[in-house]
Amino acid sequence: MSENKSETWRKAIAGQAAKIAGDDVVLWRAEDLMLYEYDGLSTMGKPDLVVFPSTTQHVSEIVKLANRNNLPVIARGAGTGLSGGAVVSSGGIVLGFSRMKKILEIDIENQRARVQPGVVNLDLSLAVSDFGYYYAPDPSSQKACTLGGNVAENSGGPHTLAYGVTTNHVLGLEVVLPNGEVIHTGAAYLDPPGYDLTGLFVGSEGTLGIVTEITVRLTRKPEAVKTLLAIYDRVHDATSTVASITAEGITPAALEMLDGFTLRAIEDATHAGYPRDSAAVLLIELEGLREAVEEESTQVEAVCRANCVRQIRVAQNAEERDKLWQGRKNAFGAMGRISPNYYVQDGVIPRTRLPEMLDFIGEAGARYDLRIGNIFHAGDGNLHPLIMFDARDAGQSGRVLKAASEIMMKCAEMGGSITGEHGVGIEKSELMPLIFSEQDIEMMKTIKSIFNPKDSFNPGKVFPTGKLCGELRVQISEGAARG
Amino acid sequence: MAMNLQSSESIIEARRAVGVKPADAQSWAYAFAGIVGARRVVTDPAVCPAFNVDGMTPGAVVYPRTAEDVATILSIASSWGLAVIPLRSGTKVGMGNAPLRYDIALCLKDLNQVWHYEPDDLTISVEAGMKFGDVQRFLSRRGLWLPLDPPGGARASVGGILAANASGPLRVRYGAPRDMVLGMTFATADGKLIKTGGRVVKNVAGYDLSKLMIGSLGTLGVILDVSFKLFPLPSLRQTFAFSDASLEACRHLRRAILASPLTPLRMVLLNGPARAIAANLSAQYGPDSNHEFWVEVGGSESVLHRSAQILSGLSAFVGPEPSKLDEAVARECWDRIADYTAWASQPEQDLLVLKATLPIASTERFLEAVYQESEQEQCRVASFAQTGAGTVLLCILTAKGEAGMATFVSRLRGNATRLEGALTVLAGPPVLKQYVDTWGPPATDLASMHKLKQTLDPSGILSPGRFVGGL
Ligand SMILES: Cc1cc2nc3c(=O)[nH]c(=O)nc-3n(C[C@H](O)[C@H](O)[C@H](O)COP(=O)(O)OP(=O)(O)OC[C@H]3O[C@@H](n4cnc5c(N)ncnc54)[C@H](O)[C@@H]3O)c2cc1C
Repeated sequence: MSENKSETWRKAIAGQAAKIAGDDVVLWRAEDLMLYEYDGLSTMGKPDLVVFPSTTQHVSEIVKLANRNNLPVIARGAGTGLSGGAVVSSGGIVLGFSRMKKILEIDIENQRARVQPGVVNLDLSLAVSDFGYYYAPDPSSQKACTLGGNVAENSGGPHTLAYGVTTNHVLGLEVVLPNGEVIHTGAAYLDPPGYDLTGLFVGSEGTLGIVTEITVRLTRKPEAVKTLLAIYDRVHDATSTVASITAEGITPAALEMLDGFTLRAIEDATHAGYPRDSAAVLLIELEGLREAVEEESTQVEAVCRANCVRQIRVAQNAEERDKLWQGRKNAFGAMGRISPNYYVQDGVIPRTRLPEMLDFIGEAGARYDLRIGNIFHAGDGNLHPLIMFDARDAGQSGRVLKAASEIMMKCAEMGGSITGEHGVGIEKSELMPLIFSEQDIEMMKTIKSIFNPKDSFNPGKVFPTGKLCGELRVQISEGAARG
Repeated sequence: MAMNLQSSESIIEARRAVGVKPADAQSWAYAFAGIVGARRVVTDPAVCPAFNVDGMTPGAVVYPRTAEDVATILSIASSWGLAVIPLRSGTKVGMGNAPLRYDIALCLKDLNQVWHYEPDDLTISVEAGMKFGDVQRFLSRRGLWLPLDPPGGARASVGGILAANASGPLRVRYGAPRDMVLGMTFATADGKLIKTGGRVVKNVAGYDLSKLMIGSLGTLGVILDVSFKLFPLPSLRQTFAFSDASLEACRHLRRAILASPLTPLRMVLLNGPARAIAANLSAQYGPDSNHEFWVEVGGSESVLHRSAQILSGLSAFVGPEPSKLDEAVARECWDRIADYTAWASQPEQDLLVLKATLPIASTERFLEAVYQESEQEQCRVASFAQTGAGTVLLCILTAKGEAGMATFVSRLRGNATRLEGALTVLAGPPVLKQYVDTWGPPATDLASMHKLKQTLDPSGILSPGRFVGGL
């Protein structure tokens, strides 16, 4: 990693940046930069400068300024990313999007909206709610994370099981390329003529271009919603239920699982209504036409019973439903209360393998003497093991990484993926060879070099550095690791 | 991966063996025979024209057996500068501009296996040459399907559907191929086999290169196998038809349905000739009456019952109650609607087929413009409007010569552009393509597209000239 620049040098560049974007939107003093050294992953990197542009023109000019000074540029939304995507790896200018959070256009009849990248995910849904619409991809972090970050990570969420992830809801983008040029991809209608660059940019983790405007599709709210809580005495029964629901072709809108350890931590923090003495619960949501919801509910309940469910509770009103979901969406926070530190993993496996995989995670925890909680998008086979530890104990930290790597390797071995929604970022760059050949990775690099030939946008992400083989690039040390 | 290693070795070997490009088709075809076997390379002038694209005949048809064969063939074609067009059933050959060059038809008919099927995980991986009808038949045994009804229907191949990102009326509910693909393997022009994405339903590892291949009409690589996520077949289906609806009524109906709790499987507006095609009557004689507005819903008995209630509640916009179509008949009609070109009375190669993609709200206004223009030009047009998706397919059944057709196309394109949409030619007689660009102006930055093409296919051998902007 290259050295950061001196304070005088930074101050000088800051002066030039201020001429472009305004006086009060440039940070360069070490103490002001500290907030921007981290994202949701416990790994740090020091930026040289943070700039908050208000317009696409600002972004383009700052990018050019960075080029003249050989500085990398790293886009940053809300910094909730869990793979270190917004963490600087070798100095450079961080572009923060908190001043570009306007919803530019809402067009209900055409079921679309045009937004700036700093718009918070949930704010868009709230803005169109009165019309009976919402924005479907709903990361659990949706109260904080930005649509720009969602586009970069191709984020998912509980309801993406039925409605698809970010890439299925983005129609077009405005992008600033590493040379400062502004381009447009896609359109506000379907199947625009040309290569699907929108599809390429979504999920490219800020390494191909910086997104300055997004056209998204809006989805109509369903007539009926029914939320079930299926309570189990054995984890295995819960995972078997998920596998059976999938195999029977029942498609709930959301199908989340929480194991006993995790749900107890949540109960301590938020009283969501999960029974403390259970081994696992499934949070199942059905949506659609009233009649369809009732029928699916009967089917789902039958599957649960066939898999030895202890009890099925149905949320009786919006308040009960919200409580159940709040528990799920605030789960990571709840973990922070019971363990000094925790590490969230993200992997995907075929849903048929869930029971086997959860056994494996349990064994890995036992072998490394670590508590591992499980809370995840079960319907998608998208696991989030949460590994508890105390960063002050160096021995434990080493074991955390070993356990996490083993779980990732198991995902790959089962024909799955090393990330379902959190991205590769810094964290998993060295794991890419687990699922891609050298040639596959070279091809991605070739694509990258077309748009980002000097590696000036978000360097050090996604691609293996070749220095560490098959290891997670996470700093789990005292001070750096946060709950 | 063993597969890749093996293929790169065989490519190096093949390269060493080939040396300088022989002068004529017979001799270079001989070199390909060394790779796939003599029976798999056809230069017979009686056979090659069956693989014509826009009136151009390939020098040879090559039938690879494996992904490795494809890689090797492309690698050699690249070093010799031979233009390759991957094909299967030819249901999409009408798309795109006329190729600049065309030496080899790469027929993928023998890449037709299901190589991974996990019905309990709702995923499947199939080779690109597999016919769509075969995939559906295979899946239906377990009550599953790929919810697509692209032009070409059952005859179309998986690879062709993806290369065209082709969809039909089911789009409104299920999306396009790009929304169902989990990953794929493709061959690059220089003969590498690249895997992207995976087989699980959620995956963000690395760039989503599938998106570049989907819809690129064989100009960036050759799609070899594809993994899809699957859906359960609806237990029951019912089609409702509102007849004799004016465009104004159709607009109201569309709005009302999209605002209702219904989530139709398909919604389509048919004009008289389109209605005739759907019913397997001659489109030449279809009445020039008002539109029929068809809505198909899926689900259980009670869902269909409720849907019927909701829809008849909307009949105030059009007058009479919607009629319920007999399910078996409706299924056949929908197949014809998807595969309209096969059912129009003309020989397929003479048909002019246009596709407009518009903001949803512009659908009816565009149709209005279409009818005005067609009256002026004295063309007969069958229009299939996927209202709710903003997609309008037009089958031009009669027109006054190529020049007249060209004017007609550009007039309609002008209308689509004015309504903030786009218009592409899906099929048309080769001569027409001398007058009009089939794609119209690109929506996406052209310079970036050029760079992509230049990097992935530096020798310009993959379907040269067929894509947007002459790529
Ligand atoms: C409690 C919690 C729950 C979460 N739940 C989910 C979940 O359910 N599903 C899920 O998918 N993720 C989840 N996440 C992860 C995270 O919230 C998402 O990845 C989110 O999309 C990141 O958005 P952000 O605005 O915070 O982006 P950041 O973290 O700031 O940045 C993420 C990446 O996006 C890039 N980026 C940001 N803005 C732009 C732009 N304008 N142009 C180009 N690149 C840009 C950055 O460079 C970086 O690489 C969760 C995180 C937390 C902390």
